[in-house]
Amino acid sequence: MTARLAPTNATSSGVRLDPKVIKSLRRRKNGPGLVFLLQWGLVLTSTGWLVWSAMGTEWVWLAMLVHGGMLTLPAYALSHETAHGTAYRARWLNETVLWFSSILYMEEPLHRRYTHTNHHTYTWHQNLDSQMPFDLPMTLRIWVLEIAGLSLLRYHIVQLVRMACAQYSPMIRKVVPQDELSRLTRNARIFTLLYALIAAAIFLGHTWLLWFLVIPRLLGGPVMQCFTILQHAEAAVNSPSILDTTRSFDTNWLGRVLYMNMNYHVEHHLYPNVPFFSLPVLGHEVASQIPEPDPGLWRTNLELVSVVLRRSWGKNTRARTIRQAPQMITEGVVTPISKATM
Amino acid sequence: MEGTVNDRIHVCCSDSIELEDVIRFDHEDRTFCIYHTLDGFFATDGYCTHEEQHLEDGIVIDNVIECPLHQGRFDVRTGKALSAPACIDLITYPVSIENNEIYILIDKPHRLSTA
Repeated sequence: MTARLAPTNATSSGVRLDPKVIKSLRRRKNGPGLVFLLQWGLVLTSTGWLVWSAMGTEWVWLAMLVHGGMLTLPAYALSHETAHGTAYRARWLNETVLWFSSILYMEEPLHRRYTHTNHHTYTWHQNLDSQMPFDLPMTLRIWVLEIAGLSLLRYHIVQLVRMACAQYSPMIRKVVPQDELSRLTRNARIFTLLYALIAAAIFLGHTWLLWFLVIPRLLGGPVMQCFTILQHAEAAVNSPSILDTTRSFDTNWLGRVLYMNMNYHVEHHLYPNVPFFSLPVLGHEVASQIPEPDPGLWRTNLELVSVVLRRSWGKNTRARTIRQAPQMITEGVVTPISKATM
Repeated sequence: MEGTVNDRIHVCCSDSIELEDVIRFDHEDRTFCIYHTLDGFFATDGYCTHEEQHLEDGIVIDNVIECPLHQGRFDVRTGKALSAPACIDLITYPVSIENNEIYILIDKPHRLSTA
């Protein structure tokens, strides 16, 4: 029987803000999301031109990596923001972009929305959070599969096929309302058909899909994972406080734009209904009540790699420059704490 | 029996609710939400019909309240459930404004359907 816990959010974390401030920060707009779409389109046109220019040379792989990063990370961020319903004020626009971005991210939109809602309700709680992508503590093998994007890709493909066959995991049955299961299956069939059509088109000679979409999407997986892996890695399990379970980190303007400000991840989990464009202001408002963000994207990732390597060697894994839960400081043989739910 | 002045429950001053906003109102063991939209003031039951989540933290856009938990949406004027996972309509209550004060008739609940 599932324990009934209080939702993990600002209240459970002891963070308080003036309700008027929060209400003003939760206000939705179409403008910032439309500007994001425009910027993304321009960036993809530029990186697509880069791939085109590099065709026939060994540079094409680097060009596809850059193009893939620009394709995959914003697709993840936009799919996430629209799953929350906060990207746009206009509902139809939000739902349209949810579909489009989820096709690129490769997760059926309703599955995206409901599993993510559950992730917010029970953030990093063993057997309750439906978006715990890896076993804890993280080992080197898990890190490699995760950072390569292979674990996530495998999970999404398996779930998509299973949902298309109307087979639902116990977790899906738990987090998706019963009435929505048939729509889940319908959508999964549409997604599967779409991907099959792309594969057929490539087979029939439309190889541009391979160079501009499929390979960049696969190469962009690790770029996306460099950002997303930091959200909860080495954080505490089963804590009611978002301050223990979640990490914010500093990054430059490009990272913030492409990731739609999700580097403010503690802030996002405290108040999930605040749209991406208001997160920097929210960060300022709660700054005195939450821990400092971890150092930049690369430094935080390097420290994580260092921790994982030391864990694989049986050495002490105390992190020097990033936040780490005491539960995650290991030495010698690692005792598993929690299993992945993805 | 028609609702009388005595059936009304005083909520608050109408200036207390900003446009496109919602407040929670508790009365005895019952809880309600009072909305202010461009079309006026409206009252519904406080909890979403999908799961036990109060709508006071929801977002009001035009005449629609969106539940903060799963984003089920309701028309606050009629209580009609507009999008999944909300399937059951909200119960609404008549609202009256007198001398800038908001009153609701909690003994006059109305639900569009029982689906």
